[in-house]
Amino acid sequence: MMCLLAAIALSSFLFTADPKGGLQIASVKVYPASKRHHTSKKQELAFVNFNITADLTPLFHWNTKQLFLYLEAEYTNSQGVKNEVVIWDRIVRRKEDAVINAVGKNKYMFRELSSTFKNVAPAHYALKYNVMPYVGVLTYGQAARTVEPVAFPESQSRVS
Amino acid sequence: MFGEELKSFRRLGIRHILLQVLNFASVIASGLMIWKGLGLITNSESPIVVVLSGSMEPAFYRGDLLFLTNPASERYQTGDITVYKIPGADIPIVHRVLETHDVVPKGKTSSAEAGPAEQLLLTKGDNNYVDDIELYQGLNWLERKHIVGKVRGFLPYVGYVTIAMNDFPQLKYALLGGLGLLALIQRE
Repeated sequence: MMCLLAAIALSSFLFTADPKGGLQIASVKVYPASKRHHTSKKQELAFVNFNITADLTPLFHWNTKQLFLYLEAEYTNSQGVKNEVVIWDRIVRRKEDAVINAVGKNKYMFRELSSTFKNVAPAHYALKYNVMPYVGVLTYGQAARTVEPVAFPESQSRVS
Repeated sequence: MFGEELKSFRRLGIRHILLQVLNFASVIASGLMIWKGLGLITNSESPIVVVLSGSMEPAFYRGDLLFLTNPASERYQTGDITVYKIPGADIPIVHRVLETHDVVPKGKTSSAEAGPAEQLLLTKGDNNYVDDIELYQGLNWLERKHIVGKVRGFLPYVGYVTIAMNDFPQLKYALLGGLGLLALIQRE
C-alpha cells in the first residue's frame, strides 16, 4: 500500500508541463477609504481590472487533485519594502475547467503598508499556480507575467 | 485461557520480562529520536502535522497528513501554505499566504546589505471568505517567528488515527495497552 502511494507520488515528477497564458491589466485605479476597525484613519485602496487567458489542462494528470490559481501584484514601495499581494484566486478542480478565460477585478483588498500608493513604483502582475496532488509533493509555477510594470495612478475621489 | 502464557512467563522468569520492557523502551526512544532528528533537518518544531479543520477544503480535509520544512534562509512567497502558531492559541493553523511584505530592518539603508529581510505575512484559508486577521489575536501581521513551516508534501487520511484517538481517549489507552501486552508476551 505504502509502496503504491510512493510510486504514484514519484510518478508525478515525470509530468513536467509548463503551460503559459496571457495576462493584461486593463486598468488600475486608486481610491481613498477608511481602515478596517478605524473609521477615522484613512488608507488608499487600489482596484485592478484584468483579463486572463490560459490553457492549464496539461497540468492535470492522474495525481492532480486540484489547481490553486492566483494573480499577484509585485512591487516595491518608497520605503524599500518588497511586497507581494494576491488580488485574485481560483480553485480549479476538473480538467474541463482548466481553460481559463477570466475578465475580472480584484477579489481581495489591495492596500499598501504605508496606506498610500503615492510614489510607489509601478507593479508587475503575475499569474501563478500551485498543483496539489492526491499524494506527494506540492509544486508551483508561473503561467503569465506582465511584460511592462503597470504604474499606480493618482488617488481620485469617489465621485468622478 | 492465559494458562499457557502464564506458564511460559514463569519458565522464562523475571530476566525475560525485563528484557522485553527494555525492548519496548528502546522502540519508544528511537521513535522520539527520529521525530527530533526530522525536526533538526527541516528546522521545524513539528515537521509532520495533521489537518484538524476544514478551512483549507477542498485541498486538505480533516485527518490529512502534511510534511513541513522551514529553511531559515528561504523567504516565504504568496501561494505557499504555511502552518503557524500564534502565542496563546493552543492549536497550529494551516493556511495559505495571501500577502508578503519584506521589510528592510531598521538602521540599514539598502536591501542588498541588509541580508534576510523581516517578513510580514497575511494568510487566508482557501475555504474562508476573509483573511486571518481576526485569528491573529490582536496582531496585524504574521511574523517569521510564528511560523512552524511550509507545506511540502501531502498524504491523505493517514492522520485520522490521531484525531480518532483524541476524540475517543479509550482508543488511545486500548492501543497503548495492546502494544505493551504484545511486547511483553512476544517471544524471541
